[in-house]
Amino acid sequence: MKKKAENRILRLVIVTGIASVASQLLIIREFLSRFQGNEFVIALIIFSWLVLGGTGTWAARAFGRGFLAPCLERLSLLSMLLAALSPLTLLAARVLRDIIFLPGSAAGFYATSGYIFGIAAPYCLLLGFLLPYSLFCLRVLQPGFPGTRVYIADNIGDAAGGAFFSFLLVFIATPLQSLFIVNSVLLAAAYFLLPPERRLRVQIFLPAAIVLAVLATALFMEEPSLKRPAGRLVHYEESRYGRVEIFKYEGQHTLFIDGRPVFSDQNVIQAEEIVHYPLAQLESVENVLLISAEGKMMRELKKYNPESVDYVEIDPAVTRTLFNYGMLEQIPVLNVIHRDARLFLNSTAKTYDAVIVNLPEPETFQINRFFTKSFFRLTKQHLTEKGIFCFHTRAAGNYISEPQQRKLSILYKTASCFFSDILMLPGERLYFLCADFEIDAGIPALLSDKNINTQYIQGYFPGNITPDRIDWLKNQLISDVAANTDFSPRLVGIMFSQWFAEFDSTPVLFLGILALGLITYLARSRGEEFVLFTTGAMTMGSEILVIFAFQVFFGYIYFEIGLIVTVFLAGLLPGAFIGERCRNLGRRLFLITDALLILSVTAFIAALYFAGNILPEFVFLVFGGIVSVACGIQFPVALHLGGPENPAAVRAFSADLIGAAVGTLVVSVVLMPYAGLLWTAGALAAMKTISLSYVFLGYE
Amino acid sequence: MNNISRRKFLLGCGGFCFWAGLGVPGLMTGEAKAADLESKSVGRVHIFRDDAPEKLWKWSREAFSYEKISGSKTVCNICPNSCVLSPGDRSICRSKVNMDGTLYTLAYGNPCSVHIDPIEKKPLYHFLPRSRAFSLAEAGCNFRCLNCQNWEISQARPSEVRHYDLFPQQAVERALRSGADAIAYTYSEPITFFEYTIDTARIAKQQGLKNLLISNGYINQEPLLALCEVIDAANINLKSFDDKLYRKLNGGRLQPVLDTFRTLNEQNVHFEMTTLVVPGYVDDPEMIRNMCKWITDNLGGGHPLHFLRFIPHYKLDRLPPTPVSTLEQMRQIAMEEGIRYVYIGNVPGHEANHTWCHNCGKLLIKRQGYDLSLPGLEDGRCRFCDTEIPGVWNKKT
Repeated sequence: MKKKAENRILRLVIVTGIASVASQLLIIREFLSRFQGNEFVIALIIFSWLVLGGTGTWAARAFGRGFLAPCLERLSLLSMLLAALSPLTLLAARVLRDIIFLPGSAAGFYATSGYIFGIAAPYCLLLGFLLPYSLFCLRVLQPGFPGTRVYIADNIGDAAGGAFFSFLLVFIATPLQSLFIVNSVLLAAAYFLLPPERRLRVQIFLPAAIVLAVLATALFMEEPSLKRPAGRLVHYEESRYGRVEIFKYEGQHTLFIDGRPVFSDQNVIQAEEIVHYPLAQLESVENVLLISAEGKMMRELKKYNPESVDYVEIDPAVTRTLFNYGMLEQIPVLNVIHRDARLFLNSTAKTYDAVIVNLPEPETFQINRFFTKSFFRLTKQHLTEKGIFCFHTRAAGNYISEPQQRKLSILYKTASCFFSDILMLPGERLYFLCADFEIDAGIPALLSDKNINTQYIQGYFPGNITPDRIDWLKNQLISDVAANTDFSPRLVGIMFSQWFAEFDSTPVLFLGILALGLITYLARSRGEEFVLFTTGAMTMGSEILVIFAFQVFFGYIYFEIGLIVTVFLAGLLPGAFIGERCRNLGRRLFLITDALLILSVTAFIAALYFAGNILPEFVFLVFGGIVSVACGIQFPVALHLGGPENPAAVRAFSADLIGAAVGTLVVSVVLMPYAGLLWTAGALAAMKTISLSYVFLGYE
Repeated sequence: MNNISRRKFLLGCGGFCFWAGLGVPGLMTGEAKAADLESKSVGRVHIFRDDAPEKLWKWSREAFSYEKISGSKTVCNICPNSCVLSPGDRSICRSKVNMDGTLYTLAYGNPCSVHIDPIEKKPLYHFLPRSRAFSLAEAGCNFRCLNCQNWEISQARPSEVRHYDLFPQQAVERALRSGADAIAYTYSEPITFFEYTIDTARIAKQQGLKNLLISNGYINQEPLLALCEVIDAANINLKSFDDKLYRKLNGGRLQPVLDTFRTLNEQNVHFEMTTLVVPGYVDDPEMIRNMCKWITDNLGGGHPLHFLRFIPHYKLDRLPPTPVSTLEQMRQIAMEEGIRYVYIGNVPGHEANHTWCHNCGKLLIKRQGYDLSLPGLEDGRCRFCDTEIPGVWNKKT
């Protein structure tokens, strides 16, 4: 009887893991589509999630008695509540945005942080609470029940949830449908946790029915909850890369990706600028490569009668939608390629007369890859001798602020590594034209020579882009900057500064509070907690490092990225088995695994540095696997060293989560953008070296 | 002695509080006035306490119009924000500071942005077409528009931006050297660099240059009247016709802007109006109709009105651009209400970029961007029906 109950609890832990990881991924995507999708916000969401989870876990020590003393019924009811909170959290993240903030407006860092914390708190706190609480319930049935088994069950659930979402749910279901699926299973597991005679009692049956009703009702809220202040939603799709929406407003269609308007079908200005500024320079246009495209670009391109136009767009949902709604003209020479553009360029020998990059600002590591030396070099290799390369960025026309000045200077410096002439044109956005011949700034005259008519350029260019303004812009550049590289994504850091400047704020207060909290926590933590903390930080830091490096060398490939994340989750499992078996080695196992972590991160970075271009994909997976297994090994040992009491287990779980939270934030927003990949890896290795020395010297 | 009932007592107290609250400004004590003014600040707009620099710099001047109240506090009288500053405080617009009881501007002779633009870019369509404007901006603004195109200078302190060293006399000389026909005080908000604007404008006027004010119109009467003596044309933003929207989107209020229009009209300053049509906010046909009604009732139908297409920008970056049909609808409403010259901006090639005679409907000025031809305009009159077209069409006017 006891054994059965134990198994039911462990099954519930696994199902909770599945439901919570799927919920986490969906709620993170929701927050991203509601707020600025920059690396800072991504890190902030994961950080909040982990810190709140850690707090919930920690709270179990204080509240897991008395009113909430461990018992099966309470565990069942709390798990049901978790199932209900999942869609409610997602809906709250979606709907409250336009109630708390002005609809259509952006939010600054502190407002975003407060919102994410506030909305995610109930779910995350409860989720964090349930893991040790399940252990407490098990220990009621069997005193001294090993915490490692709960940890292992949780990891099984997490890995399965990640894989289930990334490889299946994202393709077949909308967010609320996905949550219905995973949380129905959780509801069932929670309900059937109890023996049959207790399931029909009103205090169990009624909550279960209410939760089911909540899950079912949420299914009908998908599209109504996506309403916007201006326009009617006519198309909605969740692709693997993000949310694709089309809003129709007074005859105008606007494509929104992840909540931000990308382009509308009435944008004449940008379409003309991005096509004619580069192509007007060429005597003849045969082959053109577009990396992302918009609205009326095809109409403008046709004026040059190109032989082929290759249009690379990673997300098939975007092109399908654009063509369906007539937002992109289908021209006979158009060849649509659904791949990562870097990957595509690496795989083709074709050369182009013009390569036009039409991407948003480099706010994320993923977009930054298209503004680096490596990418510019790759582009140059695919240009004909008289070819031209064009990209654009945001910059105000009348004054260049300090972050913008640095951004433009870095871009100019990066481009000048490969092109002898670079012309910056301050249009609707700021256009960079790069070539190995003298670029002519007299675009209207060039167009007239070609008998090409435009609505915007010929009339407005002479007033907006005067020789004075072109000279002024060039004079704004500073020479004391380094080029933007794959390994040192400097532009991402500048985008952070720009974002903070927009809201007249600074991250110093936040980072100060974080540092203070961290120092207090570490000062009070025990030796094994410190090791687990550094291990948690190492795991998340390495995961970000691996994903980043993988994208640099292989391009953005959804399945492989999903595989990396799954490997990181799944590797904990065998690690925990090994740790459980060898836990009697105690601190010696810490020493071995810490040394393994240091060696592996050092070897990985050395391999990337010296042979990054020839490294096969499996090396990334193997590294992820080693880190994950090593971390998995340490957890049972820490639990064993901490003793069989509940508070010790709680501290171990919390240390792991808090370490992961800090690792995410520090690696994503401090180390990578400001110090680059190599120093980040060095910092992770140094952190583990401190942990190793600490263990070696004996931390008693 | 008659007993006073509790009801009467309460009414009496209420009445006293009401009148005391309204207060006759002249009878208020300094503290009461300061408190009254401070309570009028709009929403998220606030002064910057203890934010003044240690000492003044070369580009400082005593403010044009302010009052000293209650000891060393000052009240700036330039705009309706009426910032009450204690020593060491900085104004809402970021350019005025109280230094030991004297109010100074820190934006004088240090423009951060200097360019030469076609006058049509301001936009001014009925004032010396094809002329060029030497355009100046200092840092700072008394508004907090969520869609500001120039937020990097409008929402900055003068010391936070790179700037030129161009005192009024030098600015005028440079404008003359550049061959410009006018000086435009623009990009950020000239009301916040009022002292620089008026001093430069006075010299420019003496030197035969025109002065153009491109502004949000959030200014008090006294400084506005002083400006009217030197300003030749203005484009004033009428951001909406709803005080709540003004507070929400711009951090200001509507009524002072309407007062500015009335004053400019009374002072016979040529002005044009610009409304940015923000989807979901400034596109309510009823509001636009009321706005246009107010314009025709109070200012007449002769002042050009520009409806501009909104493009997502700055903090208002999650809205779609304005559909062209919405702009056309707004234009139709405005014309129905009697505004004779209504233009659509930020939509290249649209027929509402051109000027059509309000009497015979013939084409007067054809615009392709800043490239103009005047097929129907002669000496400020329609060549086809001889109707006088409102505006300033040659320099001698």
